[in-house]
Amino acid sequence: MIATGRQDARAAIVTTLLVALAVALLPTGSYLAYLLVWLAVATVAALNGIAPTQLARRALVALPFVVAVLPLLFTRSDEIIWAGELGAISLSVSGAGLRIILTTGLKAWISVQVALILVRLYPIESIVGSLRALKLPDTIATSAGLTIRYLDLLRNEATRMLRARSSRSASPIGETRERAGGTIPWRARVTGNLAGALFLRAYARAARVEEAATARGARGSLSFGGLQQSDPRILQKAALALAAFALISAAGALLPRF
Amino acid sequence: MRPNLHIPDGFLAPEVSIALWVATAVVIGIALRRIAMERTNAPARTVLMGIAGAFIFAAQMFNFPVAAGTSGHLLGGVLAGVLLGPWAGSIVMATVIGIQALLFQDGGLLVLGANIFNMGVIGTLAGSLVARGTSAALGGSQWSEIIGVGFAAWLSVMAAAGFTTLQLGISGTTDIGIGLPAMLGTHALIGVGEALITVGAIGFISASAPDILSARTSERGASAPRRIALGSVIALITVSLAALFASASPDGLERVAEDLGFLDQGQGPAFELLPDYTIPGLDGTASTILAGAVGVAVVVVILLLLGRVAARRRSA
Repeated sequence: MIATGRQDARAAIVTTLLVALAVALLPTGSYLAYLLVWLAVATVAALNGIAPTQLARRALVALPFVVAVLPLLFTRSDEIIWAGELGAISLSVSGAGLRIILTTGLKAWISVQVALILVRLYPIESIVGSLRALKLPDTIATSAGLTIRYLDLLRNEATRMLRARSSRSASPIGETRERAGGTIPWRARVTGNLAGALFLRAYARAARVEEAATARGARGSLSFGGLQQSDPRILQKAALALAAFALISAAGALLPRF
Repeated sequence: MRPNLHIPDGFLAPEVSIALWVATAVVIGIALRRIAMERTNAPARTVLMGIAGAFIFAAQMFNFPVAAGTSGHLLGGVLAGVLLGPWAGSIVMATVIGIQALLFQDGGLLVLGANIFNMGVIGTLAGSLVARGTSAALGGSQWSEIIGVGFAAWLSVMAAAGFTTLQLGISGTTDIGIGLPAMLGTHALIGVGEALITVGAIGFISASAPDILSARTSERGASAPRRIALGSVIALITVSLAALFASASPDGLERVAEDLGFLDQGQGPAFELLPDYTIPGLDGTASTILAGAVGVAVVVVILLLLGRVAARRRSA
C-alpha cells in the first residue's frame, strides 16, 4: 500500500501530527494508554506492510535524548524508592523522577514510530507537495524540494572529499590505525576548508540550475513539488484523524495511572 | 562530539511546543518578507537556498579527530547565516531541521517549532547578527570578521544548548540546576569545534571566491550601532536568564579549598567592584542581573574601543 508518485499525503500528515499531539498530552504514568496506542500504531504499520518490530527498533533513535531527563531520578525529592551512600555522596532515587523518565521515553518512542509510518507510506516529495497544499510558504516548499533533490549528490561529494582526506591527512583516530596528522586546530581548519570547498561546488551547481531554469522561462518565482492529484476522501480521513485524537485522549483520561 | 540538540516529541510540554511554534512562525514569516524584499533574482536565490540546504546536510558529515573516539562536527547555523545572509540562512536551517525530523526522525514533528527556534532562529539568525556586530565593533577588518564568525559560531552552539535546556526545564523534563551547567559545559567544547570549522570554511571561501562573501556583506542590513544594540540586548537577556539559575554554591576550586581546609589562607583582592557577581547594597536575583548588565556594558565598551583602535591603525 506504499504510495508512488506525488500523492496527496495531507490526511496522513494531519493524522501524524494529531496522534503525536495526543500522545504528548497523555498524562504521566498512563502506561496502559501507551500500550494501547503502541498496539494501534503497530497494527496500522502491519496492515501497511511495515514490520512492527523493525519500526520499534528504528524508533529507538530518540532514546539517547533521555540522558537529558536522567537527573530527575536523583534530584526529585518525592516518592523516594531508594536512598543510600555511594562513597562520599548521598543518593536518593525518586519514584516520581523514574515515572517522568519512563513516560518521556515512551512518548518519544511512540511518536517516532508514527512519523516513521508517514515517511514509509509516502515519498518525501509527496509530503513536501502536500505541505505546500497545506499552505507551507512557497519559498520553503521549493527550498525543501531542491534540498531533497540535491541531497544525495552533495552527500556523495562530501563522502568523496572525506575519503580523499583520509588517504592524505587528518584521518580520525580509531578509524584507521595511523596517527592523525597535525594539531587539533590544523585538523579543524582542514575540515573547515573541506566545508568551504563543498560550498563552492554547491554554489556552482546552484548557478547552473538557475541558468537552466531561467533558460526554460522561470521568472519571479520557482515552483517545485505540487500535488499531482487530490485525495477525494480527505474529509473522511481528517475525521478519522480527529477520532483517533479523541480516542487517545479518552484512554489517557479513563485508564488507570501508575 | 556531535551536538545533539534535536529534541524528540514527548520531551516538551505541549504548551511550550505551541509557544515556540508561534515564535518560530513569526520570525520565519519576517524572514520570508525580508528576503522577498531583498531578492533581485528570485529563481537564483531560491535555487541557492535549496542547494545550500543540501550543502548543510552534507557538511554536517565532516568531522575532525580531537582525541581517541572523539571528533568535532559541524552544526552549520552561523555558516549558513554568513554565506546566505541571516534571513535566508535561517530559512535554510529551518528547512534542513524540518527535513531531518521528517526523513531521519532526528527531532520530533510536534516540537519542530522549538528545534527550529533553537538552531535556526537563535543559532543562525541571532548567530550571524552577532558575527556581523562583533566584526563591526572590532573595526570591520578581515581579522575582526574571522573573530566575529568564530565567536558567533561558538556562541550559537552555547545559546542553542542553553535554550534547549531551559525549554526542557520549563516542561519539567530536566532539572535546570544540573542540566544547564552540564549542557553548557559539554557544548562549550563542541562550540570550539564549530567555531574552528566555521572559521576554516569562511577563510577558504574568502580566499578562493571573495566575491561570494562580499556580495553577502554588501546586502542591506542593520547598521553597526543597531547590530551592537541587538547583540547587547541578546547578551542581556542571556545574562538575566542565567542569573535566575545561578548557583549560590561555591565553585569547584572553592569547594576543594573548603574541604581541604585552606580556604581561609586565600587573600582577597585589594578592592572589589562587583563582589560575588552582585551590586553592593542590593540583594537577590536583581543584584546578580544588574552585575551581569554592568559586565555586558564593560565588554561592549572594551570591544568598541578596540574596534576604534583597529580602525585607526588600518586607516593610518
